[in-house]
Amino acid sequence: MSIKGYYGRLLDINLTTGEIKKTQIPEEDIKHFIGGRGLGTKLLWDKLPNPGIDPLSPENAILYMPGPFSGLPIPSSSRTCVVTKSPRTSALNSKYEYGSTVSYSNMGGFFGPEIRFAGYDGICVIGKASKPVYIKIIDDEVEICDASKFWGMGTDEFDNALIEELGDRKFESCYIGPAGENLVPMASILNTAARAAGRGGTGCVMGSKNLKAIAVKGTQMPKLGDHKKYLELLEKVRTSFKEENKDDLEWWRYGGTANALTASSKSGTQAVKNYSEGTFGEIEKIGAAANREQVWKRDFACFSCQLACKKSGIAKGSYSVMVHDGPEYETGTLFGANLLISDLAGLQKLIAVADDYGIDIISAGNVIGFLMEAYEKGIIDSKFLEGIELTWGNVEGSLELLQKMCNRQGIGDLACRGVKYLAEEIKQDSSKFAIHVKGHELAAWNVPVNSEYWSICYATSNRGACHMNGGSPERQDMATLRDSLAACSFASGWYKNEISYSKFLTAITGLDWTDEEFAKAGTRIFTLEKMFNYREGFIREDDNLPYKFFENKFTFGDFKGSIVDKKEFEKNLTEYYKLRGWDTETSKPSDDVLNELDLEFTIM
Amino acid sequence: MENNSNYSRRHFLKDLALGGGGLVILGTLGFKILKSADGKTIKAITVDFKKCAGCRTCETACSAFNHREKISGEEVFGLGNPHLSNIKVYHFNPDVDVPSTCAICPDPPCIHACVISPDLITGRKALYRDPETQTIKNDIKRCIGCKQCAKACSNLRGGIIHPNPETNKPERMCTLCNGDPQCVKHCPYGALEYIEIAADRDLNNLSPNKIAKKLMEQWYNFNA
Repeated sequence: MSIKGYYGRLLDINLTTGEIKKTQIPEEDIKHFIGGRGLGTKLLWDKLPNPGIDPLSPENAILYMPGPFSGLPIPSSSRTCVVTKSPRTSALNSKYEYGSTVSYSNMGGFFGPEIRFAGYDGICVIGKASKPVYIKIIDDEVEICDASKFWGMGTDEFDNALIEELGDRKFESCYIGPAGENLVPMASILNTAARAAGRGGTGCVMGSKNLKAIAVKGTQMPKLGDHKKYLELLEKVRTSFKEENKDDLEWWRYGGTANALTASSKSGTQAVKNYSEGTFGEIEKIGAAANREQVWKRDFACFSCQLACKKSGIAKGSYSVMVHDGPEYETGTLFGANLLISDLAGLQKLIAVADDYGIDIISAGNVIGFLMEAYEKGIIDSKFLEGIELTWGNVEGSLELLQKMCNRQGIGDLACRGVKYLAEEIKQDSSKFAIHVKGHELAAWNVPVNSEYWSICYATSNRGACHMNGGSPERQDMATLRDSLAACSFASGWYKNEISYSKFLTAITGLDWTDEEFAKAGTRIFTLEKMFNYREGFIREDDNLPYKFFENKFTFGDFKGSIVDKKEFEKNLTEYYKLRGWDTETSKPSDDVLNELDLEFTIM
Repeated sequence: MENNSNYSRRHFLKDLALGGGGLVILGTLGFKILKSADGKTIKAITVDFKKCAGCRTCETACSAFNHREKISGEEVFGLGNPHLSNIKVYHFNPDVDVPSTCAICPDPPCIHACVISPDLITGRKALYRDPETQTIKNDIKRCIGCKQCAKACSNLRGGIIHPNPETNKPERMCTLCNGDPQCVKHCPYGALEYIEIAADRDLNNLSPNKIAKKLMEQWYNFNA
């Protein structure tokens, strides 16, 4: 028995010993950390009693976490959060060689709901298999299967090969590509050959365990606390989507996040030319309208979602490409605007290759942009790049570099470790334009315009630079809750008043989730992540911003001249710590704050 | 996506318009073309694959209506467990989603294949057409679980009928939800319709695999 709306059951797998357990999740953990990102972080904390472990060692745990909404047809709430200790991040001065942050990365699709149909609130994998394996789950039956024949297979081919092997199209799965197998630190995890838990190196951790994939299929659903109230809320939210969010729905269906490509460029908030500019003059060539006209054939949705923001089609031109998804805002900016690439088929090719290898496009786009800038400045030459003339806008060069990164060949072996590592190798002041926080590259939203929001957002995110983090404690706590319910950001604003997330959670659990308790849980989860990082050696000096933002002015567009004021940033950061009740010198949460949040077990 | 001009309307109708799991209609081409010569029609659930986004809301709506739960003595909709749904959405790569549901065939091979002798009074086999709703029903008391109906559906139509894993008795025949199919009602994309179609047509339903293959070719010029 567990709290209603949950099974209270974690599928606990050790790949070293082959042991498969179904362990009880303490009720208190469910009450305090909800699910998804929150419960995942708590379980990770328990699995890793000591700081400083090597994230790629068998000791590290990787958790695949749906939330209490997963599997219920609550619109736009089908995400899966992958939680692990990051192979991407590092502190400026940790006493641990492998000191790194928590990593959480979530993906849409159908995988999380299916974990719940199989009767689990999450899957935890530790250890390392002696040969490539995949995990097959049909309700209570769990099997570790040989994946040797799939090792080396791209995600696109594997997506079909796995279904063929399983002989049943109703399995949902997630998997890594060759990048994850090759232990590329910025490797991603994909499902449906397109939807990615891209950030924070989750695919690399999966690869370090010799784990190619998890496939799951189930028949169950948990009992709810207040079934009738839940049905009432579902009816209301369906009506509200239809009546109040009709225009928004149309917007999402038309272009998904790619709609933001042109809008953000106009607003000076786009990452352009390795973040030197906020506006890209040629953005129309790769924007949503161009894709509607030339590439996209169909719109696809995640489980029980009405937005259909995933776009598929065929790109033709310099390359002929099967498009599973994209560009969306992040991939279109990082492989497009940030590299000054406006050849649409070329952009689609880069995205398709990156997804097929399974590499984080946000980080990979940063690396290529960084090297383009270093090349332009004459810090490196084509000899260093093994013959690649890495000029701005060069699709072919970018493609060659990307493939070398995924295969860890030559310069690619260096580049795949990220911009922080590259800058340390190349030196010559290149760290000034290495765009990362804590070793994790920034996403497609540029900082100087709306710098108050974006600088706090990137500097204080617990997985290293993260655009989904939010620029104030309140926003961050809400984002944390959304990720813990496994709800999607895109429709999260539509859940308010009578149909708020906390009302749904109350009906699902039968517990009285007041708005206050709910908000407090968000603070609790965010603070637990912070304590995980603090324990690993991350302090205020790590909550920084790339140097470029303090010295580079936009030279182009309506927001020409924009720059971040360092003093202003430091002042805002101090203010942020005060709001959080954290020490303004060290960033350590006070014992009072930890006690108040029921996090006394983290007090050091 | 425009129809390839080489793809004749005749082929279009033959290969695609009549698809597995209910009648398949693409775009606005539709039931007018499909009306039979004598104008006789039946009502059925149709799928517009161009509109379907594969969200599986139909599965949850079907399941919630057809698998109710008793909550403090009152019978209410279930939670919509997709496993219990009669309609199923199948994903394919390259990206095609195929909702697949019982077509309530006018010439049902499932009933034809039923090995139970017709009842002397009602004329019904174990599997029969309910004269009131026109849906296909199974009399579980007479059914022996021989799976012939499932085989026939799989070989000749969309492969909708699945034997229950324990009893082997057929499941997933569409109930039409008392005349208000919930899958149609709740489809966020308007991909499902419950409309009049020709009654005398040979609904040569295709399996989801075959439909997907056709659509991949059409949409992405892709040959599996």
